[in-house]
Amino acid sequence: MTETDTVLRCENVNRWFGGIHALKGVTLDIAQGEIFGLVGPNGSGKTTLVNCVTGFYPPQEGRIAFEGRDITGRKPHRIAADGIARTFQNVALFRGMTVLENILMGRHNLMNPNPVSSLFYPFMARKEEVAHRRKVEAIIDLLQLESVRDEGVDVIPLGLQKRVELARALSAEPRMLVLDEPMAGMNQEEKEYMVRFILDAHEALGLTVLMIEHHMDVVTAICGRVLVLNDGTPLALGPAKEAIADPDVVAAYIGGRSDAA
Amino acid sequence: MFYRLSGIHHTGYESARRLWPVPADRWQVGAVLVLALAAPFLVSNLYLGSYILPWLIWSAAALSLSLLMGLAGQLHFGYAAVMAIGAYTSIHLSQAGVPFALSLLGAGVVSALIGTVFGAAALRVKGLYLVMATLAMQYLVDWVIVNVPAISGGAQATLRTPTVTFLGLPVETLTQRYYLALAWAVLLTLFFMNVKRTSFGRALIAIRDKDFAAAVIGVDPFRYKLMAFLTSSFVGGVTGAILAFCYYRAVTPEQFSFNVSIQLVAMVLVGGLGSAIGGFLGAGFVLLLPIILTNVIADLGSSGWIDISRNLMSHLPLIFYGAMIIGFLLFEPLGLAKIYDNIRKYFLVWPFRHSRS
Repeated sequence: MTETDTVLRCENVNRWFGGIHALKGVTLDIAQGEIFGLVGPNGSGKTTLVNCVTGFYPPQEGRIAFEGRDITGRKPHRIAADGIARTFQNVALFRGMTVLENILMGRHNLMNPNPVSSLFYPFMARKEEVAHRRKVEAIIDLLQLESVRDEGVDVIPLGLQKRVELARALSAEPRMLVLDEPMAGMNQEEKEYMVRFILDAHEALGLTVLMIEHHMDVVTAICGRVLVLNDGTPLALGPAKEAIADPDVVAAYIGGRSDAA
Repeated sequence: MFYRLSGIHHTGYESARRLWPVPADRWQVGAVLVLALAAPFLVSNLYLGSYILPWLIWSAAALSLSLLMGLAGQLHFGYAAVMAIGAYTSIHLSQAGVPFALSLLGAGVVSALIGTVFGAAALRVKGLYLVMATLAMQYLVDWVIVNVPAISGGAQATLRTPTVTFLGLPVETLTQRYYLALAWAVLLTLFFMNVKRTSFGRALIAIRDKDFAAAVIGVDPFRYKLMAFLTSSFVGGVTGAILAFCYYRAVTPEQFSFNVSIQLVAMVLVGGLGSAIGGFLGAGFVLLLPIILTNVIADLGSSGWIDISRNLMSHLPLIFYGAMIIGFLLFEPLGLAKIYDNIRKYFLVWPFRHSRS
């Protein structure tokens, strides 16, 4: 991997919460166009790492760079403007809005929201709103959300809500997509749909994807490389099937031979 | 029925984004507007001046507050102070010879600046703590107005509004003042509805609903909370100036006391947070219902239908009024606007029952 096609680079990222050392020197490189998996048992620091990447809290030690630029400690909205979009493990949609408005919200950075443009709506905001609606409709089409477009987000099923969240992230036209357990709480059919949509988006929009996922069938099916975390420590890094088969990883998940005795 | 969704086909995003996509709604709005324009010729000056005019202005005030509380979700319990700043600024500017249109603008700007300063102090805190911060604004502004003679004209003084012309039109008779207030109410309503359907309003609602999710898609919470305070305080200040010039015409600090702030919050809550029609319904409820109740009960008492003491008679309206606020909020926490919306939705699909939830 050459220096130029590294999209995200985390170097020796450390994060403490009080006395808990949640991330112990995590280092990873994600290449342009890669689907990178982040796996590990519960509480192993996957979401903590993702939160550091998207700016919720800075790592206390270490450095995070996106497309060669240091983004360590930047505020979430700045990182969003840099081109990273993310979804949440627990759906974080705006309940007071419809599906369409939620997805339009994703285009916030590409629009020019201000009260003056709203006041002179026929002359200023309308053109912009319609232009962005067109873009959003393309995303709605890609993720097959047409039928729920005008529903409130709190009345549609969880599987669709997660899809709306993906649509919101995609409509921001990010260069990198961070997915925090996109398939949590889904049944087999919804999972298959979601995998298909992630692959579609990855292919159609040329995205780099960083994905936390617990379903190993999904991880081995779509992730190029995987980083396994356990208790904040990187256990294995490499192609999905090999990393998951690593004896240390198996031990972390189901206990080692010595524990069984 | 006249309300129909079937048969309305949108062939472009412009038509789907109209403020009132259903023709029946457009007819309704048109009819209400015609009635409002004809009101000076339809009702007596007593009703126009003491019911309809204040209702319009307080609706505008409720809408201004709803922009902040309903859309951006920032509680403000000192909104009367914002309006007071607007009222006093406009009076002093007009007295200094500034054209009325400009002094309205000045009222908005000064209110926006001071309101945003207190809003900025409130950026670090949420909920009840924000209530305390805005209460501080109420009392500080009250104190400054009362104790600085240059502003209030002295502790017990009443400041009369000078005679002004708005862009060449005199603002003197009741009808003239009514039309100015109506114009402001209509403009503010349109602004409110346009904010709600554009990216600015969505950003405010996003911050209200899930601030961390809003941040992660690029909304700077700091900036948009400030913008919400700025915009809301601006229109609140202009509304305060309109209130002073079109309705009170003589201003004292007590007209913008803490009670008024609470009344405004009540208007927004009873009407429905973040709803345009809710502003009008809420202001009407809080303003007119006590008057109606008092009259009804007084009539009942004097006609001998019910035998109650004069003392009880003066308290009964308050009891009913309080009970009705609690009742409405229990029955429909989203306010009168939601009740209206439910009725409207019922008729949209009548005789079917799909939308009944």
